[in-house]
Amino acid sequence: MNEGRIVVGLAGNPNVGKSAIFNTLTGSRQHVGNWPGKTIERAEGVFQHGGWEIHLVDLPGTYSLAAQSPEEIVARDYILSEEPDVIVDIVDATCLERNLNLTLQSLELTDKVVVALNLMDEVQRQGWEIDIETLQAALGVPVIPTVATEGEGLSELADAMIVVAKGRQTTEPIRMDYGLTIEGHIQDLEADLDRLAIDGQRRWLALRLLEDDPEIVNAFKAGDLEKCCLRDDTEPASREALHAVLRRATRLREATHPDARVEIVRRRYELAHELTHRVAHRLRPEEMSQTERMDRIITHRIWSWPILLAILVAVLWITIQGANIPSSWLGNAFGWLAERARDLLASINAPWWLVGSLVDGLIVGTGTVIAVMLPPMVIFFTAFNLLEDIGFIPRIAFNLDRLMRAMGSQGKHTLVAMMCFGCNVTGVLSSRIIESPKDRIVAIVTAPLVLCNGRFGAGLALIILFFGNRALEMTLIYLFISVGAMLLATWILNRFLFREEPGGFVMELPPYRKPKWDQVIWRTLVYQVGHTMGRAIMIAAPATLLIWLLGNLPPGAPFEQTPIGRLVRTLAPMGQPLGLNGEMMVALLFTLPAKEIIVSSLAMTYGLQTTLADSQAILDYLAQTWTTLVAFSFITFYMLYMPCLVTVWATWKETHSLKWTAVSILLPLVMASGITILIYQVGSLLRFS
Amino acid sequence: MEAEDALKAAYALQEKGNAWHGEKLAQSMGLPKAMGQDITRAFVASGWAQVGVEGALRLTEAGKARARELVRAHRLWEQYLVKQEGMPLEAVHSEAHRREHEMSAEEVERLDEALGHPAWDPHGHAIPGPGSPVPFSEARSLLAEGVPDSRLRIASLDDEPAALLAQLLALGLRPGVDIEVLDQEGGVLRLRLDGEPVPLAFDAAEHISVVPTPILPVPMAELPIGSQARVVDIAGTGRHQRRMLDMGFVPGAEVSTVRKAPLGDPIEYRIKGTAVALRHEDAATVLVEELGYE
Repeated sequence: MNEGRIVVGLAGNPNVGKSAIFNTLTGSRQHVGNWPGKTIERAEGVFQHGGWEIHLVDLPGTYSLAAQSPEEIVARDYILSEEPDVIVDIVDATCLERNLNLTLQSLELTDKVVVALNLMDEVQRQGWEIDIETLQAALGVPVIPTVATEGEGLSELADAMIVVAKGRQTTEPIRMDYGLTIEGHIQDLEADLDRLAIDGQRRWLALRLLEDDPEIVNAFKAGDLEKCCLRDDTEPASREALHAVLRRATRLREATHPDARVEIVRRRYELAHELTHRVAHRLRPEEMSQTERMDRIITHRIWSWPILLAILVAVLWITIQGANIPSSWLGNAFGWLAERARDLLASINAPWWLVGSLVDGLIVGTGTVIAVMLPPMVIFFTAFNLLEDIGFIPRIAFNLDRLMRAMGSQGKHTLVAMMCFGCNVTGVLSSRIIESPKDRIVAIVTAPLVLCNGRFGAGLALIILFFGNRALEMTLIYLFISVGAMLLATWILNRFLFREEPGGFVMELPPYRKPKWDQVIWRTLVYQVGHTMGRAIMIAAPATLLIWLLGNLPPGAPFEQTPIGRLVRTLAPMGQPLGLNGEMMVALLFTLPAKEIIVSSLAMTYGLQTTLADSQAILDYLAQTWTTLVAFSFITFYMLYMPCLVTVWATWKETHSLKWTAVSILLPLVMASGITILIYQVGSLLRFS
Repeated sequence: MEAEDALKAAYALQEKGNAWHGEKLAQSMGLPKAMGQDITRAFVASGWAQVGVEGALRLTEAGKARARELVRAHRLWEQYLVKQEGMPLEAVHSEAHRREHEMSAEEVERLDEALGHPAWDPHGHAIPGPGSPVPFSEARSLLAEGVPDSRLRIASLDDEPAALLAQLLALGLRPGVDIEVLDQEGGVLRLRLDGEPVPLAFDAAEHISVVPTPILPVPMAELPIGSQARVVDIAGTGRHQRRMLDMGFVPGAEVSTVRKAPLGDPIEYRIKGTAVALRHEDAATVLVEELGYE
């Protein structure tokens, strides 16, 4: 039986379990993209319920629909558009009052709203009781209690979506009373809009005009109401008439005391406050919460620092140690796959170049990239997401904001930088948590300076090879150089390029919660590892193929005659001041698709092998031929010199700016060259080798 | 000079709406009753007062004008002595008292000019303008107003007795200071001043005039950790103001300060059941009225 299809928009504050409801309902049937023209994620999914096909659209989490941020504009425009049949407003029942601010705004936009009262288990644990019946009667729309992480109430929620979407239950949303003065102004403006034959949403528009809403005001100024998604089916009003309405709104706003903008929000919160007190009752006296106890330690003036450092080191250590074994398994698996493919191709008498390019180039090359990238990413991001799910991550931003501010940035930048330790690509994508456009750009272009797992792991192999018993100190020195370079670049950018632009830091500190493993693993695998690996393979596959061709054409030629051999000679002079020879320069070039393949790239450029497979031979060779100073210079340059191509691509996607993409490439290149020249020249002067 | 002092006392009695006569006046000044006759005679001879029904006296316009001049000169002198000469507050009264009688009208105006037309004398009393009546003060005695738990601001201190004034000043009780009354017991008021308890005898409290503390919004960033406050206004504009409003910082909302970050900034606030971290500069745009400590 197939009743039809309905479209549902999921709205709600950040951190209310919106994604949990979305994931639980749609399972794997979802598609993640961007909202048109915006770098804001648009997740869509489909599920079946009661014979209906329900199409869910996950709106960005916002505190308001005030159109003060791109997220708010996306959410508001979607609710205003014709697309959704019903809006589900997901509310954190543990802080009902603040969440009702958004609910009441949604109810002003559309009648077709269902409220999901989520985190009801937490409400009980904290000793509260919420009178659902009364809340439902007061709001005038269905209110469904849910515990998204346990799947409780989701079936009822789906029922309510269908009932409201199909108009089987008429909803009568509560009507806000903004007080005599403002209601009078609303009437005046509504009358004006009526004269202009603007249909529907007149009251809402009048309120936005009184509030000086930037999007609506601009639409009126431009004389184009289509822009703000109004249901404007009538003849378009003349520009002069619209300007007249705008002038009147401005006059009314300026004549209002207290400030109309403040008063409108205050009234809404007043109603939210009153509703909350009517429906929420405390059953047990308040006790000091676990969050408070934990925050006393985690944000402690002294203890916060060792805790932060210990956790960071622990996550990196677990990642590197834990990734070794699965990486070698994966390496073996791809090796086995390559042999089978070679046998298969040999059995059909394929020409040598096809075997070589497909097997040695594509399978071995791409396989090496996957084998070295995948396990550390999975481990690192699982750990990171776990910390985020618990609520620890926002505290890091809280603790470090002052420090980052000294560089002109803010606390959330540290979160992006920490993601970058896992993978620069994911770090760049995670910069979306920063609202301030300036701080976001800075976080993106400084991301490549943070050592990702790939560089860290491969660099570690070289560090152990050359510094043996001093490996720990050297590792810490590299961490220090990397973080120092990132902070310096942040300071330089803020000091010279963004001198006038304001930043700002407003962040909610959610209570500590027990981790929801399924959500953590879902986010890690699907959103982070899945996306990034997919893109990495798209870039790594052709690149590794190209590298193979460069090293093996023309057939049978001696190494010096291959394109690699020639490249080595061409690039050699450029590396000289840095203490790098041509082989090293070409190897660095080869690591642009994925930094992890540095050792096997060196093997190819030194002419020791013709594929990107890992081998011990190259390590032995390097240990004999490189001096400690050369190794130090090379590793330093390698760690910092340029973002990998996937990061460049992500930077382009997130900034849509050639200028900033170029900065993100040149900045690390300049800094890496500077630091390496310093190390090599000073080292040479001191005759240190 | 004595007659002029009597004139000021008479002016104070009449302005407070009391009927008066020579004897009563002498009494209020701590003089023997017999002096009342002399005062009455002197007043009438100078044209400062007229005798009305039942021997009651009333100041003439000329009498009132002279009394105002004297008050004005006295308070300007006090201000001058404290501000320009750096004389301690408890010592200025007697000095000003001597000099007020020696000044011509032009000299008073020059003094006023030199001081920048001050509105208040150092005790917290209003200085009347030239020719205008002495402003009626809404301040009342601390003894009358000092019910427990009231929050008051000291409006003025009596000029005399000088010894008591010196003691009050030594305790830190001076005009403009906010105090909180904790309780009263056995003829002693217990006050809180700058977080410290201060005991004060009823006799002393009588000489302090107070007004209820006006609500003075303070920037939320200035609140000590652990305090509770109510939002009065959001000073920011545009996007920033809207952001604060949407996070729940609306007029009337109750907010508490939870903790500072390890480096002193940002600060965590609790608002409407959620914890929000704000930088000092952003929190400073939220104006609040302090409600107290946890």
